[in-house]
Amino acid sequence: MARTPALRIALLLFRLGLGGIFGYAAWVKLREPWMLFAMSVDAYHVLPEWGAVAVARTLPWLELTLAVLLVSGLWKKIAMPASSLLLAVFFSLMVRSYVRGEGISCGCFGAGEAISPLTLLRDGALLAVSLVLTAAVFWKKPPVGLKTPDFQLPKIAEPQL
Amino acid sequence: MKLSALLFALLPLVAAAPSIDKGKTFGNPSAPITIELFSDFQCPACRQLHMDLLPSLVRDYIVPGKAYLVYKEFPLPQHNHSREAAAYACAAARVGKYEQVADVLFQNQPTWSNDGKVFETISSALTPAEQKKVQTLAKDPSILEEVQQDVQEGQSVPINATPTMVIIRGAKKYPLPGPINYNLLRGFLDGLSK
Repeated sequence: MARTPALRIALLLFRLGLGGIFGYAAWVKLREPWMLFAMSVDAYHVLPEWGAVAVARTLPWLELTLAVLLVSGLWKKIAMPASSLLLAVFFSLMVRSYVRGEGISCGCFGAGEAISPLTLLRDGALLAVSLVLTAAVFWKKPPVGLKTPDFQLPKIAEPQL
Repeated sequence: MKLSALLFALLPLVAAAPSIDKGKTFGNPSAPITIELFSDFQCPACRQLHMDLLPSLVRDYIVPGKAYLVYKEFPLPQHNHSREAAAYACAAARVGKYEQVADVLFQNQPTWSNDGKVFETISSALTPAEQKKVQTLAKDPSILEEVQQDVQEGQSVPINATPTMVIIRGAKKYPLPGPINYNLLRGFLDGLSK
């Protein structure tokens, strides 16, 4: 599939938007006491307490790094899969908790937002966007000249004896 | 130890509190931290918080005057007896028995949630004279309004799950929905107190 200018603009906007959202999520967590985010992580019951603390202290910085990479367009082949993986983990944990009816804090943008259909829809949409961007990064463009069906080898002049 | 017994020690402080719903507030009203606890008597997670976490919180923060506890009703629409239970608890607060009634409601939650015998459940925490007063008060429009006011306050936070603790320090509010790890909560509260 050829990348039309409209598709290129859409992918650029998706990437900038996703980067902006990661940046906002990091900023909200970093401006609040980290213990608050540790409580949100711990509420998922997938890590021991020390693990929740470690995640609470490092994840906002990882989100900030991803934000910088996504917005700048640097290291896309690393940043895009990392973003998709992170969002897939977030989304699956949120779905698990919602199905169990735990009513815990999502922890997505600081404390206080309980997991709801709305938060699931939002994070699901972000994951979908990230997967599209990841696919776009690894999509191999056909080599120039092989696109047209009437491709012909250039003629080589016959040597004159 | 029962939470109500722990809170009994706070009665003189509560009496001095300038709050409008004195029976639902505990501790030192001028404490640096205020904890608003929005809960639903029919919600199992609220029961767990009330029975497991709250006694430690009261012992470590409310009794020493480090935090001020305010109970708020947030009966969820899917729980058919929770609004009635909230009304009885608010009525019990008017006779100074909120905590005792909250204790029996949470302890016997599986039973009255099924059979709907809310008043019969709370009766064990009240004297016959109090029972009569609470039964009348629970139907009073001011009590029903009090419950609705708590719900509206919760919606403005906004709260979309119970239990939710709203930790208030100055102008800053930190809503914490769901079950909470007490060790981490303690670290957070200690950090806020500094």
